[in-house]
Amino acid sequence: MVSKLISLQEAVALVEDDEMIAMGGNTLSRTPSSFARELVRQGRRGLRLIKTAGAYDIDLLCAAGAVAEIQSGYIGYENVFGMAPSYRHGVESGAVRVVEHACYSVIAGLRASSYGLPSQPINGFDGSDTPALSDFRYIDDPYTGKKVLMIPRIRPDWGVVHVQHADAEGNARIDGGPFEDILISRASEGLIITAERIVETDFFRKKPERTNFPAFMTRAVVHAPGGAAPASCYPTYDIDVDAVAAFLQAAKSPETLRGHLDEWRERDYSGAIKAAGEAK
Amino acid sequence: MNLDLNNDPDAARRAADQMAVCLARELWDGERVFHGVNSPLPMVAIFLARKLHAPHSVLIEVAGSVDPEPEGLPFSTNDPKLCEGAASLFSNADAYDLFSRGGVDLLFLGGAQIDKAGRVNMSYIGDPAQPKVRLPGGGGGSVIMEQARRVVIWRVVHDVRTFVSKLDFVTQTGNLTRIVTPLAVLELIEGGLEIESAHPGVSAVEVAANTGFALDASRKISVTAPPTQDELAALEVIDPEGVRYSEFSALRRVKRWDDEMLRW
Repeated sequence: MVSKLISLQEAVALVEDDEMIAMGGNTLSRTPSSFARELVRQGRRGLRLIKTAGAYDIDLLCAAGAVAEIQSGYIGYENVFGMAPSYRHGVESGAVRVVEHACYSVIAGLRASSYGLPSQPINGFDGSDTPALSDFRYIDDPYTGKKVLMIPRIRPDWGVVHVQHADAEGNARIDGGPFEDILISRASEGLIITAERIVETDFFRKKPERTNFPAFMTRAVVHAPGGAAPASCYPTYDIDVDAVAAFLQAAKSPETLRGHLDEWRERDYSGAIKAAGEAK
Repeated sequence: MNLDLNNDPDAARRAADQMAVCLARELWDGERVFHGVNSPLPMVAIFLARKLHAPHSVLIEVAGSVDPEPEGLPFSTNDPKLCEGAASLFSNADAYDLFSRGGVDLLFLGGAQIDKAGRVNMSYIGDPAQPKVRLPGGGGGSVIMEQARRVVIWRVVHDVRTFVSKLDFVTQTGNLTRIVTPLAVLELIEGGLEIESAHPGVSAVEVAANTGFALDASRKISVTAPPTQDELAALEVIDPEGVRYSEFSALRRVKRWDDEMLRW
């Protein structure tokens, strides 16, 4: 067995400045939150982020000035907390460039990459200002002559997903809704998995049809218990509303933001970094 | 405006209940229906309709499931609880593909700015190159609004900032039939929005005064049917926590940081 189990710090160190990262999960569900915090601790800059619908992870990276560009359909906290203030500020100040999308066009761009194609046809956007703003272009379908919108390939350097179960080799399973995580894994150059539990490979052999990510596709595995918090990770923990509120306060200044990262450091580093049976 | 929804909790509660039942009445039995993220009132309305008159509707849940039966309704409409009790999962990509091949009957959408033609801005206030406000974005809207058979928009504020003569940006358009607000139900007729009914206690003049584009003053306007006892009782059963109230600032337990900032 080749163990790909490494520490959160080592996994985040794989990511370089200016690289493109697709973040798994959706709004405040199964967000790779500990990974996002460590990106900030390590001072990553110029990141280009891909997410269909995002909240804490995107907002945190914007608060830290780590982001150059975002392609997404929706960024906001939903109901209780409203819009994402640091994302807003980043875009309104000109620091963060937005490629305006619908969630489905983000999916189309990722599909183009997954299918090994330069672009992907998509329905929609009639009467919308988005194609012109984002430079999405039309072609004539060769069979019917119908005008078809083509979304350019989105090929992230890294896909980062947080899951419930992984083994040290990189097999992994999601419980509950997968969101776009499986597509992200196929579309990205490298896949980094953070997991609530590290299990034996037999866990996957018993039900291979439940394995969402085969080991060969995975570059690194991180044991990250609580790694989605303050977002939820079904069925173990819910959204931590108080912690989200505390973050929104902390994001208002660099000092308090550093405090937020310090506060989460111990939990973020609490995972095992050796597979069971390996020499400690 | 007589209705002080920002400060009068009773008025806000009545408006929320009225809106929930108006939205629920839009769902017909047997239809496939979808709501997006950040959509508390549509989510409650769909569960209400399924309990009352549309038990055979199919809920394609944005959280990634079909026909969930959660213990209670969550405040996030993308919460994994909305996969509980479902017999199958159905991812967002699956749902958008279904829209794309014409397989969804009814879509509930929000809108930050809406014009007379029923077009929607969810993206920018001001110039997109240097926006005054970066809005969250339309989610799936710019694709699915033109793919759904019918689209109903809800918005918990009815004012001249929302209903404008000119959008700053067109995020999405298509297949809109009605808009439900705390004041009225608007319908799209021959390409333009008009008042269909004003809620009890609201006059057509009030609706017009809070709408930034012209409305046909000669139209006969009915009074929206108020919630029935059955509807109110069912609302209490499916939504005892009051998720339907959570969009109204007067009823929110926590003050939302952007309540003020959203007044662009």
